[in-house]
Amino acid sequence: MIVFDNVSKFYGDVLGVNRVDLHIPPGITSLVGPNGSGKTTLMNLMTGLVYPNSGVIQVRGISPFAPEKLMKILGYATQYDAGPRGATGFDFVYTGLLLHGFTKAEAQRRAWASIERVGLTGAAKRKVAGYSKGMRQRIRLAQAIAHDPEVLILDEPLNGLDPLVRAETIALFRDYGASGRHVVLSSHVLQEVDVFSDQVILIANGMIVAEGQIRSVREEIHEHPSQFLLHCRNASRVASMLFEEEHIAEVKMAPEGQGLLVLTKNREAFSMALERIALSGTDIDGVMPTDENVDALYEYLIGGGR
Amino acid sequence: MTPWQQIWTIARLELGRVFFSKRSFWVYLLAIFPSVIFTGHAIDATLKARQWSGRGEKITAEVMNKLQTGMTDQEVLRLAGKPVTDFERTRRPRRREEDPDAEKQPEVRRYMMYFDGKRRVDLRFEDGKLVGRNTRDLLNFEEDRKVYAGMFQFFYLRLGVFFGCLGIFINLFRGEMLDRSLHFWFLAPVKREVLLLGKYCAGLIAASLIFGGGALLSFLAMALPQDPAELQTFWQTNGVEHAVWYVAAAMLGCVGYGSVFLAAGLLLKNPIAPAIVMLLWESMNGFLPDVMQKLSVLHYLQSICPVPVPLPSDMPTVMKMLLAPAAPSSAAVAVGGLLGVTALVLFAATQAVRRLEINYSTEA
Repeated sequence: MIVFDNVSKFYGDVLGVNRVDLHIPPGITSLVGPNGSGKTTLMNLMTGLVYPNSGVIQVRGISPFAPEKLMKILGYATQYDAGPRGATGFDFVYTGLLLHGFTKAEAQRRAWASIERVGLTGAAKRKVAGYSKGMRQRIRLAQAIAHDPEVLILDEPLNGLDPLVRAETIALFRDYGASGRHVVLSSHVLQEVDVFSDQVILIANGMIVAEGQIRSVREEIHEHPSQFLLHCRNASRVASMLFEEEHIAEVKMAPEGQGLLVLTKNREAFSMALERIALSGTDIDGVMPTDENVDALYEYLIGGGR
Repeated sequence: MTPWQQIWTIARLELGRVFFSKRSFWVYLLAIFPSVIFTGHAIDATLKARQWSGRGEKITAEVMNKLQTGMTDQEVLRLAGKPVTDFERTRRPRRREEDPDAEKQPEVRRYMMYFDGKRRVDLRFEDGKLVGRNTRDLLNFEEDRKVYAGMFQFFYLRLGVFFGCLGIFINLFRGEMLDRSLHFWFLAPVKREVLLLGKYCAGLIAASLIFGGGALLSFLAMALPQDPAELQTFWQTNGVEHAVWYVAAAMLGCVGYGSVFLAAGLLLKNPIAPAIVMLLWESMNGFLPDVMQKLSVLHYLQSICPVPVPLPSDMPTVMKMLLAPAAPSSAAVAVGGLLGVTALVLFAATQAVRRLEINYSTEA
């Protein structure tokens, strides 16, 4: 388990995270929240890069105040781009392994293996400073997994990756998660991580707003009113038909005459209503959810619903 | 992996960065500056010797000693032959106020210079008579050793090693914060104290090699061009000892200043502030009570320098206190004291590095 017990962190007067209580089991856990919500602070607290002002953190029974023990079982791919100045991709991974105490031969073997695993073998001898954003992500991932850690922490690991590499990277997370290890990653897009995460922790303004298995978080999303944009030619007729439905909370004209903005309390019922309207001969050109992103959920969860 | 192995691994990984850091390239210039000065001095002496030997009569030391005041210029020329330089200047004396109309004959002054291969003698003639002679060695070992001692204490230790260590050690942590790469080290499975000592060792090895090497190089640049007989005597008596102490003083300077600037790099964002405070502290040290003086790196370094710097007797006391250690310690006390001060500073630095957090956004 990774345990946060009433942990708070402030940067001067600025709140990092506030009174966080978490028990993260093995498997893939995604920390999801908008920029500045405290995801990186949580990860830095777990890895001892910053220290809590109050509370206790344990990572598989080890305190982040003991890096000599913790870092043997933990790999952290940070969001920071820089590595040792002038280092090649291989050097970056290899020197990290030397610090773990591996022999030169073993460090070389492991470095090449992890670089191959992230698909960077061809660029391993190039300087990290010349890498693209996606390549830097991958080399950081290679460095984090090179010593085969039990706990893998990844800060926005899918940023800048092309679809193929993204799929390979997700497969790697799944491998790790399935083998009983901890994989904790962050993202600001819920849809990006909900397909492969075992559990999700939603964080906003330094506080945990929801946590649990992805299904229960999804249900929380579905329970709160959802907004859709309907593209239709006869907006007033569609609006009047929708007002007859019980689950409709609000209908209003979309800005710039794009159609209607509809707020519904029940997605399934809304879907069926649209089907009935279409069958009645009223054209609906398109339906688009406008609040599927995680910000809308925060607004709902933090604001107590609309 | 034992902590010692970890320290050595970290030091080895850091060494390349410390040696070849563009940010502290100027450190090399500071280290070789004295060597350049003494090499220039030696080249100048060699060129002059070659130039003068080719121009006039190369006289013997015996002949040079025979050139006494009262001799005429013709006698000198007969005895010593053609001089290296020979020129005249005519000087018209001022008229006296009480006898403005009196005619005064212009004074003719003649200057000659002879060279015996090591020494030059400058002769001044007035109205054909030798009235002044000045003998100077082209290279004076005794004098050069004093010049070296002064250069070593006033430039090399106070400025060269001081600012060199500032450039090397302050970047070990502060530079990594600015480069946003310190987390790489913090994510290694090593205690923060071990990391600090590893980085300190890297800085120390680099600084000691650069400044110890610079001290040795400049010492050799000062000594090697000297008269071979004098040089041989010097090596057989205390030459090696002097060289060792100068190198040791430079290296111990790196030990002491290095620890201070390493700690400063952990505690403070701006390296200029600690540098100025430290420089002031070191400079005003002579005015402080004995106990306080022992908290200065320079006090110990000056105590182990083999040749005391000759200070002019008419120098104001305030300046003397600034430039010389008030009560030099014995070599053992100096080395022990310096290592003690360093241990204290490093202990404080380990406390600081334990609390250090990665927060690059505040480092810009």
